[in-house]
Amino acid sequence: MHEMGIASSVLEAAHQVLHRYPGQRLSKIGLRIGEFAGVDSESLKFCFEAIVKSENLAPLALEIEFCDVAQKWRGDELEIAYLELEDPVPTEGPVESVEERI
Amino acid sequence: MNRVAVEKSVLSENNQIAANLRETFGTTGTLALNFIGSPGAGKTALLEKTLELLRPHTRAGVLTGDIQTDNDARRLMRYGYPVRQITTAGACHLDARMVQVHLEDWLSEGLELLLIENVGNLVCPTSYDLGEDAKVVVLSVAEGEDKPLKYPGIFRKAELMILTKIDLLPHVPFKVELARENARRIHPEIEIIETSYTTGAGFDEWMNWLRARARKKAPVGVGTGAASV
Repeated sequence: MHEMGIASSVLEAAHQVLHRYPGQRLSKIGLRIGEFAGVDSESLKFCFEAIVKSENLAPLALEIEFCDVAQKWRGDELEIAYLELEDPVPTEGPVESVEERI
Repeated sequence: MNRVAVEKSVLSENNQIAANLRETFGTTGTLALNFIGSPGAGKTALLEKTLELLRPHTRAGVLTGDIQTDNDARRLMRYGYPVRQITTAGACHLDARMVQVHLEDWLSEGLELLLIENVGNLVCPTSYDLGEDAKVVVLSVAEGEDKPLKYPGIFRKAELMILTKIDLLPHVPFKVELARENARRIHPEIEIIETSYTTGAGFDEWMNWLRARARKKAPVGVGTGAASV
């Protein structure tokens, strides 16, 4: 349950950032987890994949990196380190010409 | 493919609400404590005795979180203080928005003391800032002395560990010194108080801790504020 909530929060936070890049599609989320965050990475990945599947967000990957306390923070943080974005795949179908519409 | 550096906290929305709550608690002089422990650790009993021992006319309120039922709220209401149950309907922790929503009118009424009993769990509630002044971890002698080593996150973040049910010590193989040692391996500065709801042992020390924290929280120039706790 905890990891499901975290997975939802990860996607929510990533989509908030994505709004700054109109037209781009999210392909990967890089997540940093402090060693005392109390998050099981396998369970988090499982929950993340379940949401990706149920919300038709595929292909969207999650990459998890654990940080030790000395490295950065108090060790209890969860942080989106980076996003990988792609241009949207053009949709197939007849190309509407401007002239035809006029 | 375009990689964008973000460095954004996953719980930034919760953290923002918590920061707003903390600022409000600072203005109103409300001492807010977040009690975290396993199911059955004795959190509700600890709060019951605490409410019983508060000085008359203390403006205190309790938010109590559970996945289902309002049993704890009904237990705590007997002491004459306002109590609200937060039923999380499956969520394993309270978050700042739940606290904000359930506080409603309490802050404008000048609450001196807010006791928040989190959902029984040593993992999930640790990640969520509720705007509290301190987290208090509750551990009973019916559990293992190695809980601080197994669940280091909460023991690192809590300012105080309350060891409950010490009247059971003659009957359980719990080693108090080992539990203290383990807690301090994780968090060397953690304060530790041993209590028993049944005998009342340790509650003078706990109430003194509470009153000392309340005095520090009293708003400058506004009477005694939370000092009347």
